[in-house]
Amino acid sequence: MYQYIARRLLLTVPVIFGVAILVFSIIRLIPGDPARAIAGVQASPEFIQQVRARYRLDEPLPVQFGIFLGDLARGELGRSTFSRRPVATEIGERFPRTFLLAMTALVIATIVGVSAGIVSATRRNSMFDNVSMLFALVGVAAPVFWMALMLQLLFAVNMRILPATGIGTWRHLVLPSITLGMASAGLMARITRSSMLEVLRQDFITTARAKGLNERFVIYKHALKNALIPVVTVMGLQFGILLGGAVLTETVFAWPGIGRLLVDSILRRDYPVVQGTVMLMAFLFVIINLVVDITYAFLDPRIHYQGEAGE
Amino acid sequence: MRTTMHMHGRLATLALVLVFVFVGMAAFAGGAQEAAVERDTITIAIGAEPEALDPVNMTSAPAATVGEHAIQRLIYMEEDGSLTPMLATEWESSADGTEWTFQIRQGVQFHDGEPLNAEAVKANLDRFVDPEVGAAYAFLLGSVEEIEAVSEYELRLHLAEPFAPILSHLSHSFIGIISPASFADLGPDDTTDAAVGTGPYELVEWSRGDSITMVRNEDYWGPAPEIPHLVFRFIPEDSARMVALETGEADAVMRVPPQDADRLDADPEIDVVYQTSVRTIYIGFNSQSEPFDDPLVRKAFNYAVDKDAIVDAILDGNAFVADAPVVPAVFGHTSVGPYEYDPDRARELLAEAGYPDGLSATLHHPTGRYLLDSTIAEAVQGMLTEVGLDITLETREWGAYLDFTGQPVDQAEYQMFMLGWGTVTLDSDYGLYALLHTRQWNPAGNNRGFYSNERVDDILDRARVETDPSVREELYAEAIELIWDDAPWLYLHNEGQINAQRADVGGLIHHPLENVSAWEAFFIDD
Repeated sequence: MYQYIARRLLLTVPVIFGVAILVFSIIRLIPGDPARAIAGVQASPEFIQQVRARYRLDEPLPVQFGIFLGDLARGELGRSTFSRRPVATEIGERFPRTFLLAMTALVIATIVGVSAGIVSATRRNSMFDNVSMLFALVGVAAPVFWMALMLQLLFAVNMRILPATGIGTWRHLVLPSITLGMASAGLMARITRSSMLEVLRQDFITTARAKGLNERFVIYKHALKNALIPVVTVMGLQFGILLGGAVLTETVFAWPGIGRLLVDSILRRDYPVVQGTVMLMAFLFVIINLVVDITYAFLDPRIHYQGEAGE
Repeated sequence: MRTTMHMHGRLATLALVLVFVFVGMAAFAGGAQEAAVERDTITIAIGAEPEALDPVNMTSAPAATVGEHAIQRLIYMEEDGSLTPMLATEWESSADGTEWTFQIRQGVQFHDGEPLNAEAVKANLDRFVDPEVGAAYAFLLGSVEEIEAVSEYELRLHLAEPFAPILSHLSHSFIGIISPASFADLGPDDTTDAAVGTGPYELVEWSRGDSITMVRNEDYWGPAPEIPHLVFRFIPEDSARMVALETGEADAVMRVPPQDADRLDADPEIDVVYQTSVRTIYIGFNSQSEPFDDPLVRKAFNYAVDKDAIVDAILDGNAFVADAPVVPAVFGHTSVGPYEYDPDRARELLAEAGYPDGLSATLHHPTGRYLLDSTIAEAVQGMLTEVGLDITLETREWGAYLDFTGQPVDQAEYQMFMLGWGTVTLDSDYGLYALLHTRQWNPAGNNRGFYSNERVDDILDRARVETDPSVREELYAEAIELIWDDAPWLYLHNEGQINAQRADVGGLIHHPLENVSAWEAFFIDD
């Protein structure tokens, strides 16, 4: 197992390298001169030239890429061209906020989604099943910003019981995390339901029931554990998406996390921050996937990883 | 089996209850908290975060808005454009206009306790123009050759040649004076965001991406602000910013979308504030390429567009039809327009220019940069179609747009482009020279349409060095008449700004320079 983890971690190096090449080239493919974006519409050409030199944007692309890789190897991400502060500091300030939001959203999504999925599966075609699957469909399909605005309107503007924007207290966390969590909850409810239905049809469940086991025991001990594998996969992917893709939620609730930093930085042509943020997201995604794969082994004893005894 | 189902039902109910408890507790905690809060803080929500609070690294209006609460400059520009003493108490120029002497205000100290004196001002200005430091707005002091601290409270600027707009340039928000101790140890490439100025508020905390918190400067040299705490929040999303105002999370907001203004105004707890800005919106013509090298065509376009309709119907009255290339508040402005809406005249002019059947052209415009820019471009397209012109619209993201319209004359691929220009020094030199002088053609300056008129060039050059204000006014009047008649632009409108504040807030200054200032603000008790 440890060997497997070590090898997987080693494999992240080429992945990250690939991401580095991609993000470096893609942001440079976007039309628009970063020096001009920094200097502003009223700047003189001399100043724009100065800016270019300061951020070494006047070097040939391969040289710029070399500088970027060299910095990366030393664990340096460079400086923001917008604020002139180290990229690591910029990201370091915002990442915990996004992590908190994504984590809370995931907890909400899991509690609501998995429990709705289990109940729907065990009471298939019941009123509860139909209603909760309808809600799941709405949760997945409703645009995030619409959901966000509706929640703001109801709880912040009309009822005045929750803050609509900003950070600071845990009350600020409520609306954005519910908004973010609802879409994932819908997806998880549907996955849990279909996975449970699949497992409940299998022979070992019939056997368990035939043995006269308590239905609760059958469902939670036998069925659920086996049904969780696709759910865990989706959870992992969702967490990755929540970490990187909370842009809309962060924007509507003025939640200053990493998603908004990325969008702002793209608009400002702040190459170093865009590069740093995307690299971090790619790295996290790789790690989350690894964690998901390892979790399988705990959920299903039949799954082993190479190098482990009993393969 | 029934028991089990019951149990599942309970599980789902439990999950739902948990969520509601979460919301409910938050609500309860909120109610309790709000009741306990005293109103000792004024919160202003703005649409963007300052890039820096170090004068040498400031480039945006948000930086100016936030910065001027902590950092002050020698001269302050009032809402009417007049210049009043700030850190300089009086000033005079030598007879030939090449030496300006300033008396620095005595008994002022920076937030770190260091004294303000001529040396401190000199250190700041030296840093501001240092090419190694590379301040974006160093060109404001481009005419200054030497900065001299004559005595403890006397500062003298030596200019290479007379430069009439120097005082308004010195009033620019970015030429702020901060404690020399705060940058003494910095390399030329380093910056400080400590904002150790002399202003009525001191910086407490900058929570990146979220807010800047300030506290009243108890040792302030002028009248102390009434409200002890000041918070600027950055909420880029328009609807979220408006929600923050409606819920009272913000006491004032900048940049209200015009379509929201009426709705907010109907709320008795909210006042909408309309103010002029210094920004002129225009559509530039590429005067060096067909068909716009012909002034008749350019004039025809001006007659074909109904500016009143744009201002009334699209901008909801929140703008003023341009009557000159600069806004009326600018020194040197003279009213020469507008071109009255006259489609028949437009058709005649087009026929006279050799286009009786109209012509085709592409209008480039930004989206989301200026108030309703793309909607206005569409309206212009529609009006031009009325007189037989075939106009294609093309938009680009802002960075790409600036690049595209910044090409030198032999590479410029554009015919018409919509842009805005803020004459932030409120002096015609800033509004006309960089945009319309032949030496300012791309890429040297911002004359993106390659307009060229020798007489205009000559007048603008003379007005720069003339020290007699009344002579300057006459010169600019003459230049503006020539420019208006040449029609290098399709003159559109001067943007207004719409801000809003809670009805119980008084004393906020909504400045034409697109700042909101809180040092005279107070809460109105019911």
